[in-house]
Amino acid sequence: MNDFMLGIKELDSITGSIKKGSNIMLIGPPMSGKETILNNIMYNGAVKNGNAVIKVTTRNPASQILEWFNENNMSLPDSKIGIIDCITKTIGKEAVETENIKIANSPVDLTGIGVKISQFFEDFFIKKKIAEIQLHVDSLSTLMMYSNIQTVFRFLHVFTGRIKAAGAMGLFLVEDGMHDEKDIITLKQLFDGLIEVKIENDSNFIRVVGLSSKPTPWFEFEIDGARIKILGEK
Amino acid sequence: MVKTGIPRLDELLGGEIPKGKSLVYYIQPGVEGEIFGLQTIFTTLKKGGNGVYIASSTSPGVTREVFRDFGWNVEGFKENLTFVDAYNSLIGAPSDEKYTVSDPDNIENLNEIMITLMQESQPSTILFGSLSTIMDLCGEKETIEAVRSWNKIAMLYDHVIVYNFTAWPYSEQTLKIIKNDIFDAVISIGGIAERVIFGQYFSIFKASWAEETDKSMLFRVFRPGGIKIFIPKIVVTGPFNAGKTTFVHSLSNRAISVDRLGTTIALDHGHVEYKGFSADIFGTPGQKRFDPVIKLICGEAMGFFLVVDSTKPGDFARAEQMLEIAKSCGLPYVIVANKQDLPGALKPEEIIKHFNLPQDVPVVPVAALDKTGVYDAFEVLVNKITGGTR
Repeated sequence: MNDFMLGIKELDSITGSIKKGSNIMLIGPPMSGKETILNNIMYNGAVKNGNAVIKVTTRNPASQILEWFNENNMSLPDSKIGIIDCITKTIGKEAVETENIKIANSPVDLTGIGVKISQFFEDFFIKKKIAEIQLHVDSLSTLMMYSNIQTVFRFLHVFTGRIKAAGAMGLFLVEDGMHDEKDIITLKQLFDGLIEVKIENDSNFIRVVGLSSKPTPWFEFEIDGARIKILGEK
Repeated sequence: MVKTGIPRLDELLGGEIPKGKSLVYYIQPGVEGEIFGLQTIFTTLKKGGNGVYIASSTSPGVTREVFRDFGWNVEGFKENLTFVDAYNSLIGAPSDEKYTVSDPDNIENLNEIMITLMQESQPSTILFGSLSTIMDLCGEKETIEAVRSWNKIAMLYDHVIVYNFTAWPYSEQTLKIIKNDIFDAVISIGGIAERVIFGQYFSIFKASWAEETDKSMLFRVFRPGGIKIFIPKIVVTGPFNAGKTTFVHSLSNRAISVDRLGTTIALDHGHVEYKGFSADIFGTPGQKRFDPVIKLICGEAMGFFLVVDSTKPGDFARAEQMLEIAKSCGLPYVIVANKQDLPGALKPEEIIKHFNLPQDVPVVPVAALDKTGVYDAFEVLVNKITGGTR
C-alpha cells in the first residue's frame, strides 16, 4: 500500500490516509515521546508502506539514528532512507557521506540543507522511481536556535511548497514551550495539520488536528520498548 | 583579471571578470550553486592570485574541507587565501583566523572588518560564501547598504568581489535590488523542476562589461572536479558499418552496446567527460528499418554526429537520407569522416562536395579505431551546441 499513514492504527482509523502534498507539524513538550513517534512514522513509511523517507537531523548524528532503529529491531531498508546530518560537522567530528547519509555543513547553512533535500528527492523520485516520499525534519526548534524566525519561515515556505509540488508528505518537529506563541502561530500558517502531544499527570496524550473533518480525540499512549502503544481515549 | 574557471561561463563573460567589478551568483533554493563561488576563488588561487573568503554559514575549517571534497587543496595557498570568520562567534566557538567577526548579527562589525581588509589587501578575489546568511542575521536593508559600500571600495582597490546569494523569498524589493541594481553582473543559477528538481542550469542575467546573451547552460557538479557543462543527449547516426559503435566507444569514458552478429540492433550508449563538459551519447543502428528510431531519439537530443565511412562514397546517398531525417529536428551537427587511417579515404573537403552541403558544415577527419580526431569532433559539436568559440 503506497499511501501516507502514521502507522498508529487508532489515529489512522480516524484520519484515513494522509493527502499527498500535506505538511504536518508535530508539536509537544520536551520528553513527551515526540522523537519516538517520529521514528515510528518513519519506520511505518519505509517498511510497511514502501515509501522513501528523508530525515533532516539537527540534534543527533545520522549514525546514532540508524543505531536506534537497529537496537530496537526495526531495521530500515537502506535504499529507501536518506538522512541529512546537520550536526556531526558542527561538533567537529569526522563525517563521511554514504549512499543514504548526506552531511550538511551546519544547522545555519539552510542553503546547504536545502540542496541535500533536493538531491535526495531527485535520487528517490527520478533514479529509484519511488513516488511517495516523506520528509521529516527533527527539529525546527534547533534550526530556530541558530536562525531567526523569518529565516526559518522563508526556508519552510520554499520546502513546504516543494512537498506540495512533489505530492510528498512533510513532518516537522517543534518543541512546545521553547518559542514565543506568536512564532508558533506564524509557522502554523504553513501547515495542513498538527500532531499534538501533551503530558498531563505524568501521562502522555496524542491527537491529530486538521487532517480529518474534526480533531481526533486525545489518546493516552505509552512507549513500549520503542513502539507507541495506545492505552485508550482520554 | 579574474576567471571563474567555469566552462563556457568565462567565454560568455567576455573572457574574465575585470578588476573592480562585482558579481553575484543568484541561486534558486535547493540548487547546488554555492560551488560557483568556490570554483571562482580557487581558479584565482591556481592562477597565482589572492583570495578572501567570508565564511558566514559555516566555519573556515569546514569550508576548507568542502574545497577538499572537490579536489581543491587550499592548504597549499595559505599565503594567498585569507578567511574572515563570521560564523564561529555565532555558535560560541573560538576562531583561529586573523579576521574574526565577534558579532555576526551586527552588520557594522562585519563592515569595519571588510573595509580594513579591502584597504590593506593586495587586489584579490573576495568571495562572500553566503550573502543570504548575512542578510538573515543582519537584515535586508542593512545588508544591501553594506554591499553597496563594499562594491565601491572593491572598485577603488581593484578587487573583484563575488557573492553567493540564495534567493529565498525575501521581500520583492530586496530581490529586485539584488537582481537589477547593486551588482555589475548577475549569474542566475536555477533548477529544472517537474515535481522534483532534476536538472540545473546557469545563465547570465546581466554583465555590464560583456555582450548580452540569453544562453542557458545545463551543468552538473562533480566531486572531485567541480562544475561541468552537461549535455544530456548527443546522437550518433550514420550508415551500416560506418564505425558508429567504435566512435561511441572511443569517445566515451564508459560505454555499452546492444549488438547481434557484430552489428548494433538497439543502441550504443556512452558517457563522455572532457574539458569541463559532460555528455551522454546515444548511437543508433544503421539499417534502414531502424530509421524511425533516429527521429525519435533526435527529438530529445541537443546535437548529432553523422558518421560516414570515408572510403565508401557508395554509402553517401544513404548517409544523406539519414542526415535529412536527423536534420528535421533542427539540431546542430557535425559530419565525422571516419576511417581516415585506411587507404583511399576521401578528404573532408571531398566529402562535403559529395553531400552538396554549405562549406561551413563541419566535417572532421577521424580514425575512430585509434581515437584520432574523436575529441576534435566532440569539441566542434559542443561548441555548436553551447555557442562557444574555442
